[in-house]
Amino acid sequence: MDALTWTGSLGTVLNPLLWVSVALLLLAVAGQVLASLLPAPQMRPRPDGTLVATTGLRGLADTAGRFALLALLAVLLAYIVAGALMPYGSAGIVGAVARRFAPVWISLALVFALSIHFRRRLGLFGRLFDSTIGMIGFGLVLFWVFTALYFTAFGWIATHDPLSQLSGMKNVLPGEPVAMAPEGAWPHYLLGGDNLARDVFSRMVAGSAIVVLIAPLATLFAFMVGITLGLPAAYFGGRLDQILSFLANLVLAFPVILLFYLLVTPEIVQTGIPSFMAMVLFVFPILFLAVLLDSRYRTDRRKRWPILAVTLAVTGWLYLSLVSQPGTPVNFLHPDVDLFNIPGGILIVFVSVVFVNSPTVFRIGRGLALDLATRDYVAAAQTRGERPWYIMLWEMLPNARGPLIVDFCLRIGYTTILLGTLGFFGLGLPPESPDWGTTINDGRRFLSIYPHAAIVPALALLSLVLGLNLLADGLREESLKD
Amino acid sequence: MDDATRPILEIDKLSISFFTRLREIPAVMDFSAKVFPGEALGLVGESGCGKSTVALGVMQDLGTNGRIVGGSIRFKGRDLGQMSQAELRQIRGSQIAMIYQEPMASLNPAMRIGRQLVEVPMIHEGVSETEAWARALEVVSDVRLPDPERILRSYPHQLSGGQQQRIVIAMALMSKPALLILDEPTTALDVTVEAAVVDLVKDLGKKYGTSMLFISHNLGLVLETCDRICVMYSGEAVERGSIEDVFDRMRHPYTQALFRSIPLPGADKTAKPLVAIPGNFPLPHERPPGCNFGPRCDYFVKGRCDARDIPMLPVEGDERHESRCIRFDEIDWAAEPQGITAKGKTRPGEPVLRIESLRKYYETAANALFGSGETKVVKANEDIGFEARESETLAIVGESGCGKSTFAKVLLGLETASGGKIVLDNREIQDTAINKRDTQTVADVQMVFQNPFDTLNPSMTVGRQIMRALEVFGVGNGDAERRERMLTLLDLVKLPRAFAERMPRQLSGGQKQRVGIARAFAGGARIVVADEPVSALDVSVQAAVTDLLMEIQREQKTTLLFISHDLSIVRYLADRVLVMYLGHVVEIGTTDQVFAPPYHPYTEALLSAVPIADTRVEKKHIVLEGEIPSAMNPPPGCPFQTRCRWKSHVPGNKCETELPPFRTLGDGHHALCWLTDEQLATMEPVIKVAAE
Repeated sequence: MDALTWTGSLGTVLNPLLWVSVALLLLAVAGQVLASLLPAPQMRPRPDGTLVATTGLRGLADTAGRFALLALLAVLLAYIVAGALMPYGSAGIVGAVARRFAPVWISLALVFALSIHFRRRLGLFGRLFDSTIGMIGFGLVLFWVFTALYFTAFGWIATHDPLSQLSGMKNVLPGEPVAMAPEGAWPHYLLGGDNLARDVFSRMVAGSAIVVLIAPLATLFAFMVGITLGLPAAYFGGRLDQILSFLANLVLAFPVILLFYLLVTPEIVQTGIPSFMAMVLFVFPILFLAVLLDSRYRTDRRKRWPILAVTLAVTGWLYLSLVSQPGTPVNFLHPDVDLFNIPGGILIVFVSVVFVNSPTVFRIGRGLALDLATRDYVAAAQTRGERPWYIMLWEMLPNARGPLIVDFCLRIGYTTILLGTLGFFGLGLPPESPDWGTTINDGRRFLSIYPHAAIVPALALLSLVLGLNLLADGLREESLKD
Repeated sequence: MDDATRPILEIDKLSISFFTRLREIPAVMDFSAKVFPGEALGLVGESGCGKSTVALGVMQDLGTNGRIVGGSIRFKGRDLGQMSQAELRQIRGSQIAMIYQEPMASLNPAMRIGRQLVEVPMIHEGVSETEAWARALEVVSDVRLPDPERILRSYPHQLSGGQQQRIVIAMALMSKPALLILDEPTTALDVTVEAAVVDLVKDLGKKYGTSMLFISHNLGLVLETCDRICVMYSGEAVERGSIEDVFDRMRHPYTQALFRSIPLPGADKTAKPLVAIPGNFPLPHERPPGCNFGPRCDYFVKGRCDARDIPMLPVEGDERHESRCIRFDEIDWAAEPQGITAKGKTRPGEPVLRIESLRKYYETAANALFGSGETKVVKANEDIGFEARESETLAIVGESGCGKSTFAKVLLGLETASGGKIVLDNREIQDTAINKRDTQTVADVQMVFQNPFDTLNPSMTVGRQIMRALEVFGVGNGDAERRERMLTLLDLVKLPRAFAERMPRQLSGGQKQRVGIARAFAGGARIVVADEPVSALDVSVQAAVTDLLMEIQREQKTTLLFISHDLSIVRYLADRVLVMYLGHVVEIGTTDQVFAPPYHPYTEALLSAVPIADTRVEKKHIVLEGEIPSAMNPPPGCPFQTRCRWKSHVPGNKCETELPPFRTLGDGHHALCWLTDEQLATMEPVIKVAAE
């Protein structure tokens, strides 16, 4: 087997086109910047009642920019489509990677087609598709979500086992054929091999699974903790607010990295502090759910207790299984009733991330609630004798959802970076873990000679966080309209 | 032509549109007006009729998506639309000045008042700073602010709302503009403050010879300030003319409907009720063909009124009086409204609620974290006492800060009293917080809120919100039964049953307020506290919502505690009136007693401040000087002594040292005053209706 070039035979046609379209786009953007210095053009109404700017120099630059962007997108699409259709090898690394991601492309196309078609019925989510920025962000995020999903569920997309080492593949360049390939193995290391002769492409795909699972979940937990404390702090005020705000400031004032180092130090783990923190932090989601449902069904005697009992039983069991870990000081559940065990390292990472994020969420939730508490509908609920928790969770929380959703997206991005940082410092996760932070750290040592091992996961991390930020931007922009 | 006969502002067939992603929205169509030197033109209409857009059009400040699509605006003969940005900048602020509704939003909170004022002549006329400062002092004393030197050195937040608005007016007058545009300048202010500001604007207009464009939804205010009036409806001027012509000889059905829907002296809730305008304001892109008012008009004739666009037609015999109605010659304008049936008068029943010397004090600590330092006491309510009977409407009147909202909170149980008694059906409830009250008590005492846009939870359907109230009050067994009850409640407030599935944002202000009423009556409330329930609504909707409240009250024998600062509406619907000032009840009596002499001096001033949209009414002119004292530091003796014009009539300085007795002036009529019976007998009626 020969080594693959980057674009194979595809490149002879598409590469020049790519360069031309990139150059055009840059020119057009420069033109737009220049034209924006000129005075604004006169707007005039069209018969259908919309406004149109008289095409001056600025209009020209705008049109050129739009077409250059479209051309670039078309070329990129051509790489993917042609790469996926042409026989293996002839389209180079780009083609092979594009083909490997085929299930993701198909799912993305389906989701976008459906969403755009039904966008007028989908509320805020549908309006996301009115904003280019939001669509790009959503696309990037969805790309990694599908990649992680298909890898964990079916083992698709990755070409090799992310942990196995093949002899002779140490630090090989992208596209290198696998020497002495075992029967049925993928013939190439598409994006090269790392320092320990593992496939960089497969490790990147496997790493996405870790990030996409932990980051949103940890953020969700942080939100439940932050909101469960932030709402009463704002609603009751007084001493409770002072104490909680002080605690939040205390946690925020502590250097994050130092906190992580402390939490994962074996001596500290031995004392059980992280496990106890997990016990405390994971109580909040249960509290949140129980109070949420109980306040809603307070007046309905027949439903109230059954619903509360079922909720507490299910979440309680999950909680106990989650908290109880063999080998830690907190281990009280018999293995037969223990539903699942989280690898110790991941639990610690999870706890640290929740712990560090929840004070910020607390402050956001508290700020929003302070504003909402002055509304008349809150006073109306008070005058009909509603209990405080109903007012907080059913009258106030739903009306804070806009800013909270936007912050949720941004915060997943921070959490992703935090996970990368943790991995980079080798904190918590096992050293062979394929998560992006760890792989970047592994590749860092040979960065000047073999950059690919570090650059590939770094780009992956960048694209996911960028996607989340763009998504948050798009959501904010669209939610501010009308 | 010499300058005096040439209009300062000449708007000719102006059309303004806003452009959105979906469509063009015509905000103003075919609007013409002329303002002559020294003349004040009032622009009246409901919200969304385009009156503010006209003002912005004159300022050439329509934003990125607003465009003048037709007609012209000439200022002193020059077309504003043809001017460059630099020329417009020169004119704005110096030749044309604008005063907005919210004074705090017009002042820069980070700059001292003086700096903001001297900027104006320094930029526009290039005068030196000392000269500008001298002029600022002069103008600040012109707007009747005490101690101008101190005012100029203070920041906006250190002044009260009324003082801030005076500063905004002073700023507008700094460069002696030829035209002053006032966009609802007093809507955010209290009545007595409003009266003082309006008085000021009128006098300054005369002194400086400024022409004014006065935008308001309040017909009474326009009557007091303007020479001419232009009534707008749905983007068009429908009638314009002199104040006398339009108020007394209106020639457009909308103007007539507007006057019939506001409570004027003589209106009575049983014998001569208000007439609400049926239907809703059309959305700008859903205007009907022909006459915009057609679908809501009593005189609509199919085939004529909706055949083609209707031009402004001159009214014969009146000078510069025009109407946008093709049938105004055929309508009998003197006829009484049709289909109005006098409703039976309700007789107040047994007393259900008794308040005895109720007090509510708040303690505010200077430093919350370390509880040292002295605590200050805010005396929000001081000695409130009255009795309310079944199916009676008791109005509680007073300006902001008089303690009426605190009283409502204590009554509803959101706060507990510091002293005194609230007795509901022989049970004392003043010390029971709402969470400790039993369900029946909570359901019995309910509230209707002021702001329709805030009273409903925006993320819950209308039906769900009413259902929740039913659940909490324990009405009905099971969801199906409660649902049925919810639908009947919607019937009660005359909303279609389909509204149960709607979200609050899909409802208009009046509809939201109806839902709020339905929610308050969910548990069969016996006492309803209505906190300015209609003050945020448009005039034509106010009548309908007021009417609805009255009707439900008649059916359910509810006791209605109607909190308001609008004395016109109070006079229309209340059986008894209670006037509050600084936490005290200063006067209580039946509506007739309170609205006729002898008055408490505060009531007298309050009555004089209310603008009444009736040319036959003659009012005595009483302007209250000064501000309401702070409840943290109330004056000794009579609470009203700092502003009372009768104080000098009481010998021995008693007003400043001793709290006056709550004296009896007649059957059930009491007032907190030192004046003797003879002195009270010399009071003249504030409002006199001239004989026709």
